[in-house]
Amino acid sequence: MKYSLLTTLTLTTACLLSGCVTSTVDEMIYNEPVEGIGESSVVILGRRHSSNYETEPDFVLCVGEHITSYDNSITVIGELEFINALYPWFEPRTAPLHPEGLEQLVLQEPVARKIADLKLEYIIWLDGSTERSGGSGSMACSLGGCFGFGTWAHDANYEATIWDFSDRAAVGHISTSASGQSYMPAVIVPIPIIAPVQGTACDGVGDQLLEFLSSEY
Amino acid sequence: MSRSMTFARRYQQHLFAVLLSLSLLTGCGPATVVVEGRFPPPLIEPLPLKLGVWYGPDFAQHEFFDESTTRGQSSWVVKTGQAQILMWNSLLAGVFDEVVHLKSAPVPGQSIPGVDGILVPHVSQLQYTIPKHTQVKVYEIWMLYRFELLTPDAQPVAEWDMSSYGKTPTAFLQSDQEAVNLAAVMALRDAGANFATTFTRIAPIQAWLQAQNVPAPGSSP
Repeated sequence: MKYSLLTTLTLTTACLLSGCVTSTVDEMIYNEPVEGIGESSVVILGRRHSSNYETEPDFVLCVGEHITSYDNSITVIGELEFINALYPWFEPRTAPLHPEGLEQLVLQEPVARKIADLKLEYIIWLDGSTERSGGSGSMACSLGGCFGFGTWAHDANYEATIWDFSDRAAVGHISTSASGQSYMPAVIVPIPIIAPVQGTACDGVGDQLLEFLSSEY
Repeated sequence: MSRSMTFARRYQQHLFAVLLSLSLLTGCGPATVVVEGRFPPPLIEPLPLKLGVWYGPDFAQHEFFDESTTRGQSSWVVKTGQAQILMWNSLLAGVFDEVVHLKSAPVPGQSIPGVDGILVPHVSQLQYTIPKHTQVKVYEIWMLYRFELLTPDAQPVAEWDMSSYGKTPTAFLQSDQEAVNLAAVMALRDAGANFATTFTRIAPIQAWLQAQNVPAPGSSP
Protein backbone atom coordinates (compact mmCIF):
# COMPACT_ATOMS: atom_id res chain seq x y z
CA MET A 1 0.00 0.00 0.00
CA LYS A 2 2.77 2.38 1.06
CA TYR A 3 4.81 1.34 -1.97
CA SER A 4 2.00 1.92 -4.46
CA LEU A 5 1.25 5.33 -2.91
CA LEU A 6 4.92 6.24 -3.23
CA THR A 7 4.98 5.07 -6.85
CA THR A 8 1.85 7.07 -7.68
CA LEU A 9 3.31 10.14 -5.99
CA THR A 10 6.64 9.75 -7.81
CA LEU A 11 4.93 9.28 -11.18
CA THR A 12 2.61 12.25 -10.59
CA THR A 13 5.54 14.46 -9.60
CA ALA A 14 7.61 13.33 -12.57
CA CYS A 15 4.63 13.88 -14.84
CA LEU A 16 3.99 17.35 -13.42
CA LEU A 17 7.63 18.35 -13.67
CA SER A 18 8.13 17.28 -17.26
CA GLY A 19 4.57 17.30 -18.68
CA CYS A 20 2.82 14.06 -19.62
CA VAL A 21 3.42 12.30 -22.91
CA THR A 22 1.73 9.24 -24.35
CA SER A 23 3.19 7.54 -27.38
CA THR A 24 2.70 4.54 -29.62
CA VAL A 25 5.13 2.91 -32.03
CA ASP A 26 4.25 0.48 -34.83
CA GLU A 27 6.78 -1.33 -36.96
CA MET A 28 6.76 -3.56 -39.99
CA ILE A 29 10.16 -4.95 -40.95
CA TYR A 30 10.60 -7.29 -43.94
CA ASN A 31 14.28 -8.00 -44.29
CA GLU A 32 16.36 -7.27 -41.21
CA PRO A 33 20.16 -7.65 -41.50
CA VAL A 34 21.16 -10.69 -39.42
CA GLU A 35 24.40 -9.29 -38.03
CA GLY A 36 23.78 -5.56 -38.13
CA ILE A 37 25.05 -3.34 -40.94
CA GLY A 38 28.75 -3.94 -40.23
CA GLU A 39 31.09 -1.57 -42.09
CA SER A 40 28.29 -0.05 -44.18
CA SER A 41 26.73 3.32 -43.49
CA VAL A 42 23.22 4.66 -43.23
CA VAL A 43 21.74 8.07 -43.94
CA ILE A 44 18.62 9.50 -42.34
CA LEU A 45 16.80 12.08 -44.45
CA GLY A 46 13.73 14.22 -43.79
CA ARG A 47 10.96 14.36 -46.40
CA ARG A 48 10.35 17.92 -47.62
CA HIS A 49 7.61 17.43 -50.21
CA SER A 50 4.52 18.56 -48.39
CA SER A 51 3.32 22.11 -48.94
CA ASN A 52 2.38 22.88 -45.34
CA TYR A 53 5.00 21.14 -43.18
CA GLU A 54 8.56 19.85 -43.29
CA THR A 55 10.19 17.14 -41.25
CA GLU A 56 12.29 19.10 -38.78
CA PRO A 57 16.09 18.83 -39.33
CA ASP A 58 16.59 18.65 -35.54
CA PHE A 59 14.29 15.59 -35.38
CA VAL A 60 16.36 13.90 -38.10
CA LEU A 61 19.52 14.79 -36.15
CA CYS A 62 17.97 13.50 -32.91
CA VAL A 63 17.17 10.08 -34.42
CA GLY A 64 20.70 9.79 -35.83
CA GLU A 65 22.27 10.73 -32.49
CA HIS A 66 19.99 8.28 -30.67
CA ILE A 67 21.30 5.45 -32.86
CA THR A 68 24.98 6.35 -32.58
CA SER A 69 24.76 7.03 -28.85
CA TYR A 70 23.67 3.41 -28.23
CA ASP A 71 25.86 1.77 -30.88
CA ASN A 72 28.80 3.87 -32.00
CA SER A 73 29.89 1.24 -34.53
CA ILE A 74 27.03 2.38 -36.79
CA THR A 75 28.03 5.13 -39.24
CA VAL A 76 25.18 7.59 -39.68
CA ILE A 77 25.92 10.15 -42.41
CA GLY A 78 24.72 13.67 -41.59
CA GLU A 79 21.67 14.80 -43.56
CA LEU A 80 23.12 18.08 -44.87
CA GLU A 81 26.48 16.46 -45.59
CA PHE A 82 24.72 13.80 -47.69
CA ILE A 83 22.40 16.09 -49.66
CA ASN A 84 25.30 18.49 -50.35
CA ALA A 85 27.57 15.63 -51.45
CA LEU A 86 24.86 14.34 -53.81
CA TYR A 87 23.53 17.71 -54.98
CA PRO A 88 21.23 18.03 -56.97
CA TRP A 89 19.83 14.50 -56.64
CA PHE A 90 18.26 14.68 -53.15
CA GLU A 91 16.63 18.12 -53.34
CA PRO A 92 12.82 18.24 -52.77
CA ARG A 93 12.34 18.45 -56.57
CA THR A 94 14.63 15.55 -57.47
CA ALA A 95 14.73 13.14 -54.50
CA PRO A 96 13.39 9.69 -55.42
CA LEU A 97 9.93 9.00 -54.00
CA HIS A 98 10.14 5.23 -54.47
CA PRO A 99 13.09 2.83 -54.07
CA GLU A 100 12.89 1.98 -57.78
CA GLY A 101 14.09 5.55 -58.44
CA LEU A 102 17.49 4.59 -56.98
CA GLU A 103 18.08 2.37 -60.03
CA GLN A 104 17.86 5.39 -62.34
CA LEU A 105 19.98 7.44 -59.96
CA VAL A 106 22.96 5.09 -59.98
CA LEU A 107 23.00 5.17 -63.79
CA GLN A 108 24.71 8.52 -63.22
CA GLU A 109 28.33 7.46 -62.89
CA PRO A 110 29.43 10.20 -60.45
CA VAL A 111 26.46 9.35 -58.21
CA ALA A 112 27.28 5.64 -58.23
CA ARG A 113 30.92 6.43 -57.36
CA LYS A 114 29.97 8.75 -54.49
CA ILE A 115 27.54 6.23 -53.01
CA ALA A 116 30.18 3.50 -53.24
CA ASP A 117 32.66 5.85 -51.47
CA LEU A 118 30.13 6.44 -48.70
CA LYS A 119 29.50 2.65 -48.36
CA LEU A 120 25.81 3.46 -48.20
CA GLU A 121 23.59 0.50 -47.41
CA TYR A 122 20.37 2.02 -46.09
CA ILE A 123 18.46 5.25 -46.70
CA ILE A 124 15.93 6.02 -43.97
CA TRP A 125 13.26 8.58 -44.82
CA LEU A 126 11.54 10.36 -41.96
CA ASP A 127 8.24 12.02 -42.77
CA GLY A 128 6.12 13.94 -40.30
CA SER A 129 6.18 16.85 -37.89
CA THR A 130 5.34 17.99 -34.40
CA GLU A 131 2.44 20.42 -34.25
CA ARG A 132 1.10 22.52 -31.41
CA SER A 133 -2.62 21.99 -31.01
CA GLY A 134 -5.01 23.89 -28.80
CA GLY A 135 -4.19 26.10 -25.89
CA SER A 136 -6.08 27.63 -23.02
CA GLY A 137 -5.63 29.70 -19.90
CA SER A 138 -4.52 33.25 -19.40
CA MET A 139 -1.63 35.07 -17.80
CA ALA A 140 -1.18 38.67 -16.80
CA CYS A 141 2.24 40.20 -16.21
CA SER A 142 3.12 43.48 -14.56
CA LEU A 143 6.12 44.92 -12.70
CA GLY A 144 5.14 42.82 -9.69
CA GLY A 145 5.41 39.60 -11.67
CA CYS A 146 3.11 37.25 -13.59
CA PHE A 147 -0.07 35.54 -12.42
CA GLY A 148 -2.14 32.98 -14.26
CA PHE A 149 -2.04 29.58 -15.86
CA GLY A 150 -1.57 28.41 -19.43
CA THR A 151 -1.74 24.98 -21.01
CA TRP A 152 -1.27 23.67 -24.54
CA ALA A 153 -0.80 20.36 -26.33
CA HIS A 154 1.71 19.02 -28.85
CA ASP A 155 1.13 16.15 -31.27
CA ALA A 156 3.99 14.40 -33.04
CA ASN A 157 3.42 12.01 -35.94
CA TYR A 158 6.32 10.51 -37.85
CA GLU A 159 6.85 7.64 -40.24
CA ALA A 160 10.22 6.12 -41.02
CA THR A 161 10.69 4.17 -44.24
CA ILE A 162 13.83 2.07 -44.65
CA TRP A 163 15.22 1.57 -48.16
CA ASP A 164 17.82 -1.09 -48.81
CA PHE A 165 20.21 0.51 -51.28
CA SER A 166 21.68 -2.76 -52.59
CA ASP A 167 18.28 -4.38 -53.24
CA ARG A 168 16.60 -1.07 -54.24
CA ALA A 169 13.64 -2.05 -52.07
CA ALA A 170 11.74 -0.84 -49.03
CA VAL A 171 12.51 -3.20 -46.16
CA GLY A 172 10.66 -1.64 -43.28
CA HIS A 173 8.19 0.96 -42.02
CA ILE A 174 8.07 2.38 -38.52
CA SER A 175 5.44 4.83 -37.41
CA THR A 176 5.21 6.67 -34.15
CA SER A 177 2.80 9.12 -32.65
CA ALA A 178 3.17 10.98 -29.38
CA SER A 179 1.05 13.60 -27.72
CA GLY A 180 1.51 15.55 -24.56
CA GLN A 181 0.18 18.43 -22.53
CA SER A 182 2.45 21.26 -21.39
CA TYR A 183 1.65 23.66 -18.57
CA MET A 184 2.82 27.06 -17.42
CA PRO A 185 1.64 28.12 -13.98
CA ALA A 186 2.75 31.58 -12.93
CA VAL A 187 2.88 32.93 -9.41
CA ILE A 188 5.20 35.92 -9.76
CA VAL A 189 7.56 33.82 -11.93
CA PRO A 190 6.18 31.67 -14.80
CA ILE A 191 7.33 28.05 -14.54
CA PRO A 192 7.10 26.21 -17.88
CA ILE A 193 6.50 22.46 -17.57
CA ILE A 194 7.10 21.27 -21.11
CA ALA A 195 6.04 17.83 -22.34
CA PRO A 196 8.95 16.31 -24.33
CA VAL A 197 6.70 15.16 -27.19
CA GLN A 198 9.22 15.35 -30.03
CA GLY A 199 11.93 13.78 -27.85
CA THR A 200 9.63 10.85 -27.01
CA ALA A 201 8.83 10.33 -30.71
CA CYS A 202 12.58 10.49 -31.47
CA ASP A 203 13.33 7.84 -28.84
CA GLY A 204 10.51 5.63 -30.16
CA VAL A 205 11.73 5.70 -33.78
CA GLY A 206 15.39 5.60 -32.70
CA ASP A 207 14.89 2.44 -30.60
CA GLN A 208 13.19 0.57 -33.45
CA LEU A 209 15.86 1.65 -35.96
CA LEU A 210 18.55 0.60 -33.52
CA GLU A 211 17.02 -2.88 -33.32
CA PHE A 212 17.06 -3.03 -37.10
CA LEU A 213 20.58 -1.72 -37.68
CA SER A 214 22.55 -2.95 -34.69
CA SER A 215 23.82 -6.44 -34.04
CA GLU A 216 23.80 -5.73 -30.30
CA TYR A 217 20.11 -4.85 -29.88
CA MET B 1 31.97 73.92 -13.71
CA SER B 2 28.44 75.11 -14.54
CA ARG B 3 29.46 75.79 -18.18
CA SER B 4 30.79 72.28 -18.59
CA MET B 5 27.60 70.87 -17.02
CA THR B 6 25.44 72.91 -19.46
CA PHE B 7 27.58 71.62 -22.35
CA ALA B 8 27.21 68.03 -21.12
CA ARG B 9 23.44 68.44 -20.80
CA ARG B 10 23.17 69.94 -24.30
CA TYR B 11 25.36 67.15 -25.67
CA GLN B 12 23.12 64.57 -24.04
CA GLN B 13 20.02 66.24 -25.47
CA HIS B 14 21.51 66.29 -28.99
CA LEU B 15 22.63 62.70 -28.69
CA PHE B 16 19.18 61.66 -27.54
CA ALA B 17 17.54 63.52 -30.43
CA VAL B 18 19.90 61.91 -32.96
CA LEU B 19 19.37 58.43 -31.53
CA LEU B 20 15.58 58.94 -31.45
CA SER B 21 15.56 60.12 -35.09
CA LEU B 22 17.74 57.18 -36.13
CA SER B 23 15.57 54.67 -34.35
CA LEU B 24 12.43 56.20 -35.88
CA LEU B 25 13.98 56.21 -39.34
CA THR B 26 15.21 52.62 -39.12
CA GLY B 27 11.92 51.52 -37.57
CA CYS B 28 10.07 52.87 -40.62
CA GLY B 29 12.53 51.39 -43.15
CA PRO B 30 11.86 48.23 -45.12
CA ALA B 31 12.89 44.79 -43.87
CA THR B 32 16.03 44.02 -45.87
CA VAL B 33 17.39 40.57 -46.59
CA VAL B 34 20.74 40.16 -48.35
CA VAL B 35 20.53 36.50 -49.29
CA GLU B 36 23.51 34.51 -48.03
CA GLY B 37 24.13 30.80 -48.42
CA ARG B 38 26.56 28.09 -49.45
CA PHE B 39 25.97 26.19 -52.66
CA PRO B 40 27.57 22.80 -53.32
CA PRO B 41 28.95 21.86 -56.75
CA PRO B 42 26.70 19.48 -58.70
CA LEU B 43 27.50 15.77 -58.80
CA ILE B 44 27.02 15.39 -62.52
CA GLU B 45 29.02 14.33 -65.59
CA PRO B 46 29.99 17.66 -67.19
CA LEU B 47 29.05 18.37 -70.78
CA PRO B 48 32.21 18.58 -72.96
CA LEU B 49 31.57 22.22 -73.84
CA LYS B 50 33.19 25.59 -73.18
CA LEU B 51 30.42 27.98 -72.19
CA GLY B 52 30.57 31.75 -72.01
CA VAL B 53 28.36 33.31 -69.32
CA TRP B 54 27.19 36.89 -69.12
CA TYR B 55 25.56 38.10 -65.89
CA GLY B 56 23.88 41.40 -66.77
CA PRO B 57 23.57 44.13 -64.12
CA ASP B 58 19.85 43.24 -63.72
CA PHE B 59 20.96 39.74 -62.69
CA ALA B 60 24.19 40.42 -60.79
CA GLN B 61 22.56 43.10 -58.64
CA HIS B 62 19.12 41.58 -58.59
CA GLU B 63 16.90 42.76 -55.79
CA PHE B 64 13.22 42.59 -55.17
CA PHE B 65 11.32 45.42 -53.51
CA ASP B 66 7.82 44.99 -52.20
CA GLU B 67 6.18 48.09 -50.77
CA SER B 68 3.69 47.48 -48.00
CA THR B 69 0.11 48.37 -48.75
CA THR B 70 -1.12 48.49 -45.16
CA ARG B 71 0.20 50.22 -42.03
CA GLY B 72 0.58 46.95 -40.13
CA GLN B 73 2.95 45.38 -42.64
CA SER B 74 6.50 46.40 -43.45
CA SER B 75 8.02 46.79 -46.90
CA TRP B 76 10.56 44.20 -47.97
CA VAL B 77 13.80 44.34 -49.94
CA VAL B 78 15.22 40.92 -50.87
CA LYS B 79 18.67 41.21 -52.47
CA THR B 80 19.51 37.98 -54.28
CA GLY B 81 22.19 39.18 -56.76
CA GLN B 82 25.27 38.12 -54.82
CA ALA B 83 23.82 34.71 -53.96
CA GLN B 84 22.67 34.20 -57.57
CA ILE B 85 26.24 34.69 -58.80
CA LEU B 86 27.64 32.30 -56.16
CA MET B 87 25.11 29.58 -56.95
CA TRP B 88 25.28 29.82 -60.75
CA ASN B 89 29.10 29.97 -60.76
CA SER B 90 29.21 26.79 -58.68
CA LEU B 91 26.53 25.04 -60.74
CA LEU B 92 27.72 25.94 -64.25
CA ALA B 93 31.31 24.97 -63.39
CA GLY B 94 29.98 21.46 -62.69
CA VAL B 95 27.54 21.20 -65.61
CA PHE B 96 30.05 22.28 -68.28
CA ASP B 97 33.69 21.33 -68.84
CA GLU B 98 34.78 24.97 -68.86
CA VAL B 99 33.06 28.26 -68.11
CA VAL B 100 34.27 31.68 -69.29
CA HIS B 101 32.85 34.78 -67.59
CA LEU B 102 32.34 37.53 -70.14
CA LYS B 103 33.37 41.06 -69.19
CA SER B 104 30.81 42.75 -71.42
CA ALA B 105 27.39 41.95 -72.85
CA PRO B 106 27.47 39.83 -76.02
CA VAL B 107 26.84 41.94 -79.14
CA PRO B 108 25.34 40.33 -82.27
CA GLY B 109 27.98 39.97 -84.96
CA GLN B 110 30.91 40.22 -82.53
CA SER B 111 32.26 36.73 -82.01
CA ILE B 112 33.67 35.54 -78.69
CA PRO B 113 36.53 33.21 -79.66
CA GLY B 114 36.95 29.80 -78.07
CA VAL B 115 33.46 29.32 -76.62
CA ASP B 116 30.79 26.92 -77.89
CA GLY B 117 27.88 29.06 -76.71
CA ILE B 118 26.91 31.93 -74.43
CA LEU B 119 24.37 31.69 -71.63
CA VAL B 120 22.59 34.80 -70.38
CA PRO B 121 20.37 34.27 -67.30
CA HIS B 122 17.70 36.75 -66.15
CA VAL B 123 15.40 36.77 -63.13
CA SER B 124 12.01 37.66 -64.60
CA GLN B 125 9.96 37.50 -61.43
CA LEU B 126 10.32 36.93 -57.72
CA GLN B 127 7.40 36.45 -55.37
CA TYR B 128 7.43 35.77 -51.67
CA THR B 129 4.91 35.03 -48.97
CA ILE B 130 5.33 35.25 -45.24
CA PRO B 131 2.91 33.89 -42.62
CA LYS B 132 1.53 37.41 -41.98
CA HIS B 133 0.26 37.44 -45.58
CA THR B 134 -1.16 33.93 -45.83
CA GLN B 135 -1.83 32.70 -42.26
CA VAL B 136 0.03 29.53 -43.29
CA LYS B 137 3.08 28.73 -41.15
CA VAL B 138 5.47 28.69 -44.10
CA TYR B 139 7.76 31.28 -45.72
CA GLU B 140 7.97 30.85 -49.48
CA ILE B 141 10.03 32.29 -52.34
CA TRP B 142 9.18 31.64 -55.96
CA MET B 143 11.43 32.76 -58.81
CA LEU B 144 10.97 32.71 -62.55
CA TYR B 145 14.14 32.72 -64.64
CA ARG B 146 14.52 33.41 -68.34
CA PHE B 147 17.57 32.01 -70.07
CA GLU B 148 19.05 32.93 -73.41
CA LEU B 149 21.50 30.60 -75.12
CA LEU B 150 23.45 32.33 -77.87
CA THR B 151 26.02 31.28 -80.46
CA PRO B 152 29.58 32.65 -79.98
CA ASP B 153 28.58 35.59 -82.24
CA ALA B 154 25.49 36.26 -80.11
CA GLN B 155 22.85 34.81 -82.43
CA PRO B 156 19.92 33.23 -80.52
CA VAL B 157 19.91 29.44 -80.14
CA ALA B 158 17.25 29.00 -77.48
CA GLU B 159 15.24 31.02 -75.00
CA TRP B 160 13.29 29.38 -72.22
CA ASP B 161 11.72 29.99 -68.82
CA MET B 162 12.42 28.01 -65.67
CA SER B 163 10.80 28.29 -62.25
CA SER B 164 12.20 27.56 -58.81
CA TYR B 165 10.65 27.36 -55.38
CA GLY B 166 11.89 27.38 -51.81
CA LYS B 167 10.11 27.27 -48.51
CA THR B 168 10.86 27.12 -44.81
CA PRO B 169 8.41 26.56 -41.96
CA THR B 170 8.00 29.12 -39.18
CA ALA B 171 9.02 26.61 -36.55
CA PHE B 172 12.62 26.46 -37.82
CA LEU B 173 13.75 30.05 -37.36
CA GLN B 174 13.46 33.05 -35.11
CA SER B 175 12.99 36.04 -37.41
CA ASP B 176 11.20 36.84 -40.68
CA GLN B 177 14.53 37.87 -42.24
CA GLU B 178 16.26 34.59 -41.36
CA ALA B 179 13.33 32.59 -42.70
CA VAL B 180 13.09 34.57 -45.96
CA ASN B 181 16.87 34.09 -46.40
CA LEU B 182 16.59 30.33 -45.93
CA ALA B 183 13.59 30.13 -48.29
CA ALA B 184 15.61 32.08 -50.89
CA VAL B 185 18.60 29.74 -50.48
CA MET B 186 16.24 26.77 -50.96
CA ALA B 187 14.80 28.45 -54.07
CA LEU B 188 18.33 28.98 -55.46
CA ARG B 189 19.27 25.35 -54.78
CA ASP B 190 16.03 24.32 -56.48
CA ALA B 191 16.88 26.51 -59.49
CA GLY B 192 20.26 24.76 -59.75
CA ALA B 193 18.63 21.33 -59.46
CA ASN B 194 16.03 22.21 -62.08
CA PHE B 195 18.65 23.55 -64.51
CA ALA B 196 21.05 20.63 -64.04
CA THR B 197 18.35 18.01 -64.59
CA THR B 198 16.40 19.62 -67.45
CA PHE B 199 18.95 21.55 -69.54
CA THR B 200 19.63 18.70 -71.96
CA ARG B 201 15.93 17.90 -72.32
CA ILE B 202 14.95 21.24 -73.88
CA ALA B 203 14.26 20.60 -77.60
CA PRO B 204 16.33 23.47 -79.13
CA ILE B 205 19.19 22.64 -76.72
CA GLN B 206 19.14 19.00 -77.85
CA ALA B 207 19.48 20.16 -81.46
CA TRP B 208 22.32 22.50 -80.45
CA LEU B 209 24.09 19.69 -78.54
CA GLN B 210 23.84 17.45 -81.61
CA ALA B 211 25.35 20.21 -83.72
CA GLN B 212 28.22 20.40 -81.18
CA ASN B 213 28.66 16.59 -81.45
CA VAL B 214 27.72 16.14 -77.81
CA PRO B 215 25.77 12.93 -77.19
CA ALA B 216 22.49 13.57 -75.34
CA PRO B 217 23.14 12.40 -71.78
CA GLY B 218 20.42 10.84 -69.62
CA SER B 219 20.63 13.62 -67.08
CA SER B 220 17.56 12.87 -65.06
CA PRO B 221 16.47 9.79 -63.17
